[in-house]
Amino acid sequence: MKKLLVIGTMIISLSSIVFLTGSCSSQRELAAQKSGAQLWADNCLRCHNLPSPAAYNDVEWETIGLHMKERANMTTEQIEKIVSFIQTAN
Amino acid sequence: MKKIIIVLSISMLFFGNSITAQDSKTGKTQFMVRGYGHAGLDYLKTESGTSLSYVGSSFAPIFLFKQGDRFIFETELEFVLQKNQLEIGLEYANLGYIINKYVMVRAGKFLLPFGTFMERLHPAWINRLSTKPLGFGHDGIAPASGIGIELRGAAPIGGSTINYSVYSTNGPQLKIGDDEPDEVGMLNFDNYIDNNNNKAIGGRIGFLPFFNSSMEVGVSYYTGKVGDKGSEYEDVKASLWAFDFSYVKQVSPLKGILDIKAQYNLNNVSDAYYTVNNDARDTSAVYTFTNSSNAYYAQLTYRPLMVGNAFLKNLELIGRYSQLNTPEGSLWESDINEATIGLNYWITWRQVVKVNYSFINSRGGHDAEDASLQKSNAFFVHWAIGF
Repeated sequence: MKKLLVIGTMIISLSSIVFLTGSCSSQRELAAQKSGAQLWADNCLRCHNLPSPAAYNDVEWETIGLHMKERANMTTEQIEKIVSFIQTAN
Repeated sequence: MKKIIIVLSISMLFFGNSITAQDSKTGKTQFMVRGYGHAGLDYLKTESGTSLSYVGSSFAPIFLFKQGDRFIFETELEFVLQKNQLEIGLEYANLGYIINKYVMVRAGKFLLPFGTFMERLHPAWINRLSTKPLGFGHDGIAPASGIGIELRGAAPIGGSTINYSVYSTNGPQLKIGDDEPDEVGMLNFDNYIDNNNNKAIGGRIGFLPFFNSSMEVGVSYYTGKVGDKGSEYEDVKASLWAFDFSYVKQVSPLKGILDIKAQYNLNNVSDAYYTVNNDARDTSAVYTFTNSSNAYYAQLTYRPLMVGNAFLKNLELIGRYSQLNTPEGSLWESDINEATIGLNYWITWRQVVKVNYSFINSRGGHDAEDASLQKSNAFFVHWAIGF
Protein backbone atom coordinates (compact mmCIF):
# COMPACT_ATOMS: atom_id res chain seq x y z
CA MET A 1 0.00 0.00 0.00
CA LYS A 2 2.80 2.37 0.99
CA LYS A 3 4.68 1.55 -2.21
CA LEU A 4 1.60 2.43 -4.26
CA LEU A 5 1.24 5.68 -2.34
CA VAL A 6 4.84 6.63 -3.06
CA ILE A 7 4.62 5.68 -6.74
CA GLY A 8 1.32 7.60 -6.97
CA THR A 9 2.89 10.68 -5.39
CA MET A 10 5.79 10.51 -7.83
CA ILE A 11 3.42 10.20 -10.81
CA ILE A 12 1.29 13.13 -9.61
CA SER A 13 4.42 15.26 -9.07
CA LEU A 14 5.67 14.36 -12.53
CA SER A 15 2.31 15.14 -14.11
CA SER A 16 2.13 18.51 -12.32
CA ILE A 17 5.57 19.44 -13.57
CA VAL A 18 4.62 18.41 -17.10
CA PHE A 19 1.39 20.44 -16.87
CA LEU A 20 3.06 23.52 -15.41
CA THR A 21 5.97 23.65 -17.81
CA GLY A 22 4.72 21.92 -20.93
CA SER A 23 2.55 24.78 -22.09
CA CYS A 24 5.44 27.20 -22.43
CA SER A 25 6.05 26.85 -26.15
CA SER A 26 8.51 29.75 -26.48
CA GLN A 27 10.71 28.20 -23.79
CA ARG A 28 10.47 24.86 -25.59
CA GLU A 29 11.57 26.44 -28.86
CA LEU A 30 14.45 28.21 -27.15
CA ALA A 31 15.57 24.97 -25.53
CA ALA A 32 15.50 23.18 -28.87
CA GLN A 33 17.67 25.91 -30.39
CA LYS A 34 20.39 25.65 -27.76
CA SER A 35 23.76 25.03 -29.34
CA GLY A 36 26.16 22.25 -28.43
CA ALA A 37 28.54 24.84 -26.98
CA GLN A 38 25.81 26.21 -24.69
CA LEU A 39 24.78 22.74 -23.58
CA TRP A 40 28.43 21.80 -22.99
CA ALA A 41 28.90 24.89 -20.78
CA ASP A 42 25.59 24.46 -18.94
CA ASN A 43 25.67 20.74 -18.26
CA CYS A 44 29.27 19.56 -17.76
CA LEU A 45 29.78 22.24 -15.14
CA ARG A 46 26.98 20.86 -12.99
CA CYS A 47 29.40 18.19 -11.71
CA HIS A 48 32.94 18.96 -12.84
CA ASN A 49 35.09 21.53 -14.68
CA LEU A 50 34.52 21.99 -18.38
CA PRO A 51 36.51 19.34 -20.19
CA SER A 52 39.01 20.38 -22.81
CA PRO A 53 37.81 19.19 -26.24
CA ALA A 54 41.45 18.40 -27.03
CA ALA A 55 41.68 15.87 -24.21
CA TYR A 56 40.31 13.03 -26.34
CA ASN A 57 39.86 12.24 -30.01
CA ASP A 58 36.53 12.17 -31.88
CA VAL A 59 35.97 8.45 -31.41
CA GLU A 60 36.73 8.62 -27.70
CA TRP A 61 34.29 11.52 -27.27
CA GLU A 62 31.52 9.34 -28.68
CA THR A 63 32.22 6.69 -26.05
CA ILE A 64 32.47 9.32 -23.31
CA GLY A 65 29.23 10.89 -24.58
CA LEU A 66 27.34 7.63 -24.12
CA HIS A 67 28.93 7.14 -20.70
CA MET A 68 27.97 10.67 -19.64
CA LYS A 69 24.43 10.39 -20.99
CA GLU A 70 24.02 7.48 -18.64
CA ARG A 71 25.86 8.94 -15.66
CA ALA A 72 24.37 12.43 -15.72
CA ASN A 73 21.02 11.22 -17.07
CA MET A 74 20.92 13.75 -19.91
CA THR A 75 18.60 13.81 -22.89
CA THR A 76 19.67 12.17 -26.15
CA GLU A 77 19.47 15.49 -27.97
CA GLN A 78 21.63 17.25 -25.39
CA ILE A 79 24.40 14.66 -25.53
CA GLU A 80 24.37 14.45 -29.34
CA LYS A 81 24.77 18.22 -29.61
CA ILE A 82 27.53 18.32 -27.01
CA VAL A 83 29.53 15.54 -28.68
CA SER A 84 29.13 17.20 -32.10
CA PHE A 85 30.35 20.51 -30.69
CA ILE A 86 33.38 18.94 -29.02
CA GLN A 87 34.27 17.04 -32.17
CA THR A 88 34.36 20.28 -34.12
CA ALA A 89 36.25 22.14 -31.38
CA ASN A 90 39.08 19.70 -30.67
CA MET B 1 42.81 -14.01 -7.66
CA LYS B 2 44.14 -10.51 -6.96
CA LYS B 3 47.13 -11.19 -9.22
CA ILE B 4 44.83 -12.28 -12.05
CA ILE B 5 42.77 -9.08 -11.71
CA ILE B 6 45.89 -6.90 -11.69
CA VAL B 7 47.39 -8.64 -14.75
CA LEU B 8 44.03 -8.42 -16.53
CA SER B 9 43.71 -4.72 -15.73
CA ILE B 10 47.22 -3.91 -16.98
CA SER B 11 46.58 -5.93 -20.16
CA MET B 12 43.37 -3.98 -20.72
CA LEU B 13 45.20 -0.69 -20.32
CA PHE B 14 47.65 -1.63 -23.08
CA PHE B 15 44.86 -3.09 -25.18
CA GLY B 16 42.88 0.12 -24.78
CA ASN B 17 45.80 2.23 -25.93
CA SER B 18 46.37 0.06 -28.98
CA ILE B 19 42.74 0.42 -30.02
CA THR B 20 42.59 4.19 -29.61
CA ALA B 21 45.74 4.55 -31.67
CA GLN B 22 43.80 3.30 -34.69
CA ASP B 23 41.56 6.35 -34.96
CA SER B 24 41.74 6.52 -38.71
CA LYS B 25 40.03 3.12 -39.07
CA THR B 26 37.45 2.80 -36.37
CA GLY B 27 34.89 0.06 -36.19
CA LYS B 28 31.59 -0.17 -34.37
CA THR B 29 33.36 -1.45 -31.28
CA GLN B 30 35.11 1.17 -29.22
CA PHE B 31 37.01 0.60 -26.01
CA MET B 32 38.69 3.05 -23.72
CA VAL B 33 40.03 3.34 -20.22
CA ARG B 34 39.21 6.29 -18.06
CA GLY B 35 39.29 6.68 -14.30
CA TYR B 36 40.88 8.57 -11.50
CA GLY B 37 43.37 8.33 -8.68
CA HIS B 38 44.69 10.29 -5.78
CA ALA B 39 47.48 10.45 -3.22
CA GLY B 40 48.05 12.64 -0.22
CA LEU B 41 48.91 13.35 3.37
CA ASP B 42 46.44 13.05 6.27
CA TYR B 43 46.86 14.48 9.75
CA LEU B 44 44.38 13.63 12.49
CA LYS B 45 44.29 15.09 15.99
CA THR B 46 41.94 13.51 18.51
CA GLU B 47 41.69 13.75 22.29
CA SER B 48 43.72 10.55 22.55
CA GLY B 49 46.55 11.56 20.27
CA THR B 50 47.67 12.47 16.79
CA SER B 51 48.49 10.62 13.59
CA LEU B 52 50.26 11.72 10.45
CA SER B 53 50.41 9.50 7.41
CA TYR B 54 50.84 9.55 3.68
CA VAL B 55 47.75 7.97 2.17
CA GLY B 56 46.22 6.94 -1.06
CA SER B 57 47.86 5.89 -4.23
CA SER B 58 44.32 4.75 -4.84
CA PHE B 59 43.58 3.86 -8.43
CA ALA B 60 40.11 3.56 -9.95
CA PRO B 61 40.21 2.56 -13.62
CA ILE B 62 36.96 2.72 -15.57
CA PHE B 63 36.64 0.49 -18.62
CA LEU B 64 34.15 1.52 -21.29
CA PHE B 65 33.08 -0.75 -24.14
CA LYS B 66 30.81 0.85 -26.73
CA GLN B 67 29.21 -1.26 -29.43
CA GLY B 68 27.30 0.73 -32.04
CA ASP B 69 25.45 3.87 -30.98
CA ARG B 70 23.17 2.32 -28.37
CA PHE B 71 25.08 -0.25 -26.32
CA ILE B 72 27.68 0.35 -23.64
CA PHE B 73 29.29 -1.82 -21.01
CA GLU B 74 31.07 0.01 -18.23
CA THR B 75 32.93 -1.14 -15.19
CA GLU B 76 35.02 0.48 -12.48
CA LEU B 77 37.53 -1.23 -10.25
CA GLU B 78 38.97 0.36 -7.16
CA PHE B 79 42.44 -0.46 -5.90
CA VAL B 80 43.09 0.86 -2.41
CA LEU B 81 45.83 0.22 0.12
CA GLN B 82 44.23 -0.33 3.52
CA LYS B 83 45.82 -1.63 6.67
CA ASN B 84 48.94 -2.72 4.79
CA GLN B 85 46.92 -4.72 2.29
CA LEU B 86 45.76 -4.11 -1.24
CA GLU B 87 41.99 -4.15 -1.42
CA ILE B 88 40.21 -4.43 -4.74
CA GLY B 89 36.59 -3.54 -5.19
CA LEU B 90 34.19 -3.80 -8.08
CA GLU B 91 32.44 -0.44 -7.87
CA TYR B 92 30.12 -1.20 -10.77
CA ALA B 93 29.86 -3.39 -13.84
CA ASN B 94 26.75 -2.86 -15.92
CA LEU B 95 25.37 -3.11 -19.40
CA GLY B 96 23.42 -0.22 -20.82
CA TYR B 97 21.20 -0.01 -23.88
CA ILE B 98 19.36 3.00 -25.29
CA ILE B 99 15.84 1.76 -26.11
CA ASN B 100 14.69 5.11 -27.48
CA LYS B 101 15.52 8.74 -26.84
CA TYR B 102 13.59 8.77 -23.57
CA VAL B 103 14.46 5.35 -22.12
CA MET B 104 17.71 3.57 -21.37
CA VAL B 105 17.95 0.19 -19.64
CA ARG B 106 20.83 -0.83 -17.38
CA ALA B 107 21.49 -4.20 -15.82
CA GLY B 108 24.22 -5.54 -13.57
CA LYS B 109 25.89 -3.80 -10.69
CA PHE B 110 25.29 -0.09 -11.07
CA LEU B 111 25.71 3.06 -9.02
CA LEU B 112 22.32 3.80 -7.52
CA PRO B 113 20.80 7.20 -8.24
CA PHE B 114 19.98 7.61 -4.58
CA GLY B 115 20.55 11.33 -4.42
CA THR B 116 23.44 12.51 -6.55
CA PHE B 117 26.59 12.35 -4.44
CA MET B 118 27.50 8.69 -4.84
CA GLU B 119 26.41 8.44 -8.44
CA ARG B 120 27.90 11.63 -9.84
CA LEU B 121 30.12 13.45 -7.35
CA HIS B 122 32.21 10.95 -5.40
CA PRO B 123 35.26 10.49 -7.71
CA ALA B 124 38.35 12.10 -6.20
CA TRP B 125 38.79 14.59 -9.04
CA ILE B 126 35.10 15.64 -8.91
CA ASN B 127 34.57 15.69 -5.14
CA ARG B 128 35.84 19.13 -4.13
CA LEU B 129 37.03 17.92 -0.73
CA SER B 130 39.34 15.08 0.26
CA THR B 131 36.66 13.24 2.19
CA LYS B 132 33.08 12.22 1.58
CA PRO B 133 30.34 13.80 3.70
CA LEU B 134 29.40 11.92 6.88
CA GLY B 135 27.10 8.97 6.23
CA PHE B 136 27.95 8.73 2.53
CA GLY B 137 30.07 6.05 0.87
CA HIS B 138 31.20 2.72 2.24
CA ASP B 139 29.76 2.11 5.74
CA GLY B 140 27.33 4.96 5.17
CA ILE B 141 23.60 4.95 5.82
CA ALA B 142 22.71 5.21 2.13
CA PRO B 143 23.35 2.78 -0.70
CA ALA B 144 26.11 3.42 -3.23
CA SER B 145 25.37 0.61 -5.66
CA GLY B 146 23.15 -2.40 -6.18
CA ILE B 147 22.71 -5.40 -8.43
CA GLY B 148 19.57 -5.38 -10.51
CA ILE B 149 17.91 -3.68 -13.44
CA GLU B 150 17.05 -0.05 -14.08
CA LEU B 151 15.18 2.13 -16.55
CA ARG B 152 16.35 5.73 -16.81
CA GLY B 153 16.02 8.68 -19.09
CA ALA B 154 15.46 12.37 -19.50
CA ALA B 155 13.21 14.66 -21.49
CA PRO B 156 12.89 18.38 -22.13
CA ILE B 157 9.65 19.92 -20.89
CA GLY B 158 9.26 23.45 -22.09
CA GLY B 159 12.46 25.20 -21.08
CA SER B 160 12.98 22.72 -18.27
CA THR B 161 14.40 19.22 -18.16
CA ILE B 162 13.22 16.25 -16.17
CA ASN B 163 15.15 13.06 -15.57
CA TYR B 164 14.01 9.85 -13.95
CA SER B 165 15.21 6.46 -12.84
CA VAL B 166 13.30 3.41 -11.62
CA TYR B 167 15.08 0.26 -10.56
CA SER B 168 14.83 -3.06 -8.81
CA THR B 169 17.77 -4.59 -6.92
CA ASN B 170 18.53 -7.39 -4.52
CA GLY B 171 18.41 -4.76 -1.79
CA PRO B 172 20.24 -4.28 1.49
CA GLN B 173 20.51 -6.84 4.27
CA LEU B 174 19.73 -6.38 7.94
CA LYS B 175 22.69 -7.00 10.24
CA ILE B 176 21.64 -9.18 13.16
CA GLY B 177 24.96 -9.31 14.97
CA ASP B 178 26.37 -12.56 13.59
CA ASP B 179 29.68 -10.93 12.69
CA GLU B 180 29.68 -7.77 14.77
CA PRO B 181 27.23 -7.71 17.70
CA ASP B 182 27.62 -3.94 18.00
CA GLU B 183 26.06 -3.46 14.58
CA VAL B 184 22.69 -5.17 15.08
CA GLY B 185 19.98 -3.32 13.20
CA MET B 186 22.36 -1.68 10.71
CA LEU B 187 21.83 -2.13 7.00
CA ASN B 188 24.49 -3.84 4.94
CA PHE B 189 24.43 -2.28 1.48
CA ASP B 190 27.24 -4.52 0.21
CA ASN B 191 24.85 -7.45 0.12
CA TYR B 192 25.06 -8.66 -3.43
CA ILE B 193 23.49 -12.10 -3.09
CA ASP B 194 19.86 -11.66 -2.18
CA ASN B 195 19.04 -12.86 1.33
CA ASN B 196 15.31 -13.12 0.60
CA ASN B 197 12.94 -13.31 -2.36
CA ASN B 198 11.76 -9.75 -1.94
CA LYS B 199 13.28 -7.36 -4.43
CA ALA B 200 13.96 -3.80 -3.38
CA ILE B 201 12.56 -1.09 -5.61
CA GLY B 202 13.59 2.49 -5.91
CA GLY B 203 13.74 5.52 -8.10
CA ARG B 204 14.71 9.13 -8.45
CA ILE B 205 13.08 12.06 -10.17
CA GLY B 206 15.24 15.07 -10.96
CA PHE B 207 13.90 18.39 -12.16
CA LEU B 208 15.95 21.18 -13.76
CA PRO B 209 13.50 24.08 -13.86
CA PHE B 210 15.68 26.66 -15.59
CA PHE B 211 16.54 26.99 -19.24
CA ASN B 212 20.29 27.01 -18.46
CA SER B 213 20.08 23.84 -16.30
CA SER B 214 21.72 25.73 -13.44
CA MET B 215 19.49 24.21 -10.78
CA GLU B 216 18.47 20.62 -10.14
CA VAL B 217 16.26 19.28 -7.37
CA GLY B 218 15.75 15.59 -6.90
CA VAL B 219 13.86 13.15 -4.73
CA SER B 220 14.82 9.49 -4.35
CA TYR B 221 13.12 6.57 -2.66
CA TYR B 222 14.33 3.03 -2.04
CA THR B 223 12.47 0.30 -0.17
CA GLY B 224 12.45 -3.43 0.39
CA LYS B 225 12.47 -6.20 2.97
CA VAL B 226 15.90 -6.64 4.50
CA GLY B 227 15.69 -9.68 6.81
CA ASP B 228 16.96 -13.15 5.91
CA LYS B 229 14.40 -15.50 4.39
CA GLY B 230 12.93 -17.84 6.98
CA SER B 231 14.33 -15.87 9.92
CA GLU B 232 12.33 -13.97 12.53
CA TYR B 233 13.43 -10.80 10.70
CA GLU B 234 11.92 -11.84 7.36
CA ASP B 235 9.29 -9.08 7.40
CA VAL B 236 11.56 -6.27 8.58
CA LYS B 237 11.45 -3.55 5.97
CA ALA B 238 13.64 -0.56 5.16
CA SER B 239 12.45 2.69 3.60
CA LEU B 240 15.02 5.23 2.51
CA TRP B 241 14.55 8.75 1.22
CA ALA B 242 16.98 11.21 -0.27
CA PHE B 243 16.48 14.82 -1.28
CA ASP B 244 19.17 16.52 -3.32
CA PHE B 245 19.82 20.03 -4.54
CA SER B 246 22.35 21.52 -6.92
CA TYR B 247 22.86 25.06 -8.15
CA VAL B 248 25.82 25.98 -10.35
CA LYS B 249 25.94 29.44 -11.84
CA GLN B 250 28.44 31.86 -13.27
CA VAL B 251 27.92 35.04 -11.22
CA SER B 252 29.31 38.10 -13.00
CA PRO B 253 29.47 40.45 -9.97
CA LEU B 254 31.52 37.82 -8.14
CA LYS B 255 33.66 37.19 -11.24
CA GLY B 256 33.36 33.50 -10.71
CA ILE B 257 31.33 30.34 -10.46
CA LEU B 258 29.16 29.56 -7.49
CA ASP B 259 28.40 25.91 -6.84
CA ILE B 260 25.95 24.85 -4.12
CA LYS B 261 25.30 21.20 -3.43
CA ALA B 262 23.21 19.55 -0.73
CA GLN B 263 21.69 16.18 0.04
CA TYR B 264 19.61 14.81 2.90
CA ASN B 265 19.29 11.07 3.49
CA LEU B 266 16.68 9.51 5.77
CA ASN B 267 16.75 5.84 6.58
CA ASN B 268 13.95 4.00 8.45
CA VAL B 269 13.92 0.30 9.37
CA SER B 270 10.78 -1.21 10.89
CA ASP B 271 10.84 -2.26 14.55
CA ALA B 272 12.45 -5.53 15.51
CA TYR B 273 13.77 -7.25 18.64
CA TYR B 274 17.45 -8.08 18.43
CA THR B 275 19.33 -10.65 20.50
CA VAL B 276 22.86 -9.63 21.39
CA ASN B 277 25.20 -12.29 22.74
CA ASN B 278 28.01 -11.45 25.12
CA ASP B 279 30.44 -14.33 24.56
CA ALA B 280 32.79 -13.20 27.32
CA ARG B 281 30.07 -13.44 29.93
CA ASP B 282 28.14 -16.18 28.17
CA THR B 283 24.96 -14.14 28.36
CA SER B 284 22.53 -12.64 25.91
CA ALA B 285 20.11 -9.72 25.95
CA VAL B 286 17.13 -8.80 23.81
CA TYR B 287 16.56 -5.18 22.96
CA THR B 288 14.84 -2.91 20.49
CA PHE B 289 15.05 0.71 19.40
CA THR B 290 13.53 3.10 16.87
CA ASN B 291 15.73 2.33 13.90
CA SER B 292 15.94 5.66 12.13
CA SER B 293 19.10 7.36 10.85
CA ASN B 294 19.76 10.48 8.88
CA ALA B 295 22.70 12.20 7.27
CA TYR B 296 23.06 15.35 5.29
CA TYR B 297 25.57 17.76 3.84
CA ALA B 298 25.55 21.24 2.37
CA GLN B 299 28.49 22.53 0.38
CA LEU B 300 29.37 25.89 -1.08
CA THR B 301 32.14 26.30 -3.65
CA TYR B 302 33.41 29.48 -5.25
CA ARG B 303 35.97 29.70 -8.03
CA PRO B 304 36.98 33.13 -9.40
CA LEU B 305 37.24 31.88 -12.93
CA MET B 306 36.61 35.28 -14.55
CA VAL B 307 39.39 37.27 -12.87
CA GLY B 308 42.35 38.24 -15.01
CA ASN B 309 45.07 36.72 -12.84
CA ALA B 310 46.03 33.26 -14.12
CA PHE B 311 46.93 31.99 -10.66
CA LEU B 312 43.81 33.27 -8.89
CA LYS B 313 41.43 31.86 -11.47
CA ASN B 314 42.69 28.35 -10.66
CA LEU B 315 41.97 28.69 -6.96
CA GLU B 316 38.76 27.44 -5.42
CA LEU B 317 37.28 28.00 -1.98
CA ILE B 318 35.04 25.36 -0.40
CA GLY B 319 33.02 25.07 2.76
CA ARG B 320 30.99 22.01 3.74
CA TYR B 321 28.94 21.04 6.75
CA SER B 322 27.74 17.49 7.23
CA GLN B 323 26.01 15.59 9.99
CA LEU B 324 25.23 11.97 10.78
CA ASN B 325 22.72 10.75 13.36
CA THR B 326 22.24 7.05 13.99
CA PRO B 327 19.46 5.51 16.14
CA GLU B 328 19.14 6.52 19.75
CA GLY B 329 19.29 3.46 21.96
CA SER B 330 21.18 1.33 19.45
CA LEU B 331 24.66 -0.02 20.14
CA TRP B 332 25.89 2.16 17.27
CA GLU B 333 24.12 5.32 18.43
CA SER B 334 26.05 8.36 17.31
CA ASP B 335 25.74 12.04 16.69
CA ILE B 336 28.57 13.38 14.56
CA ASN B 337 29.01 16.66 12.78
CA GLU B 338 31.84 17.93 10.66
CA ALA B 339 32.69 21.34 9.26
CA THR B 340 35.33 21.40 6.56
CA ILE B 341 36.97 24.29 4.79
CA GLY B 342 39.16 23.90 1.75
CA LEU B 343 41.38 25.69 -0.69
CA ASN B 344 41.95 23.93 -4.00
CA TYR B 345 44.30 24.68 -6.83
CA TRP B 346 43.32 23.35 -10.26
CA ILE B 347 46.43 22.38 -12.23
CA THR B 348 44.29 21.42 -15.22
CA TRP B 349 40.53 20.91 -15.64
CA ARG B 350 40.89 17.38 -14.24
CA GLN B 351 43.85 17.64 -11.89
CA VAL B 352 43.61 19.31 -8.50
CA VAL B 353 45.56 19.82 -5.30
CA LYS B 354 43.20 20.03 -2.31
CA VAL B 355 44.14 21.48 1.05
CA ASN B 356 41.36 20.86 3.57
CA TYR B 357 40.84 21.28 7.30
CA SER B 358 38.01 19.60 9.24
CA PHE B 359 36.51 20.25 12.66
CA ILE B 360 34.72 17.15 13.92
CA ASN B 361 32.45 16.75 16.94
CA SER B 362 31.32 13.21 17.69
CA ARG B 363 29.32 11.51 20.36
CA GLY B 364 28.95 7.74 20.42
CA GLY B 365 29.45 5.37 17.52
CA HIS B 366 30.15 1.66 17.82
CA ASP B 367 33.90 2.23 18.08
CA ALA B 368 33.58 4.83 20.85
CA GLU B 369 34.45 3.90 24.43
CA ASP B 370 31.74 6.12 25.90
CA ALA B 371 29.07 8.61 24.84
CA SER B 372 30.98 11.75 25.79
CA LEU B 373 31.61 14.50 23.26
CA GLN B 374 34.87 14.00 21.37
CA LYS B 375 36.44 16.83 19.44
CA SER B 376 38.92 16.17 16.71
CA ASN B 377 40.55 17.95 13.83
CA ALA B 378 41.87 16.70 10.54
CA PHE B 379 44.12 18.20 7.90
CA PHE B 380 44.42 16.83 4.38
CA VAL B 381 46.60 17.61 1.40
CA HIS B 382 45.47 15.51 -1.55
CA TRP B 383 46.45 15.49 -5.20
CA ALA B 384 43.74 14.01 -7.42
CA ILE B 385 43.61 13.32 -11.11
CA GLY B 386 40.92 12.22 -13.52
CA PHE B 387 41.98 10.57 -16.77
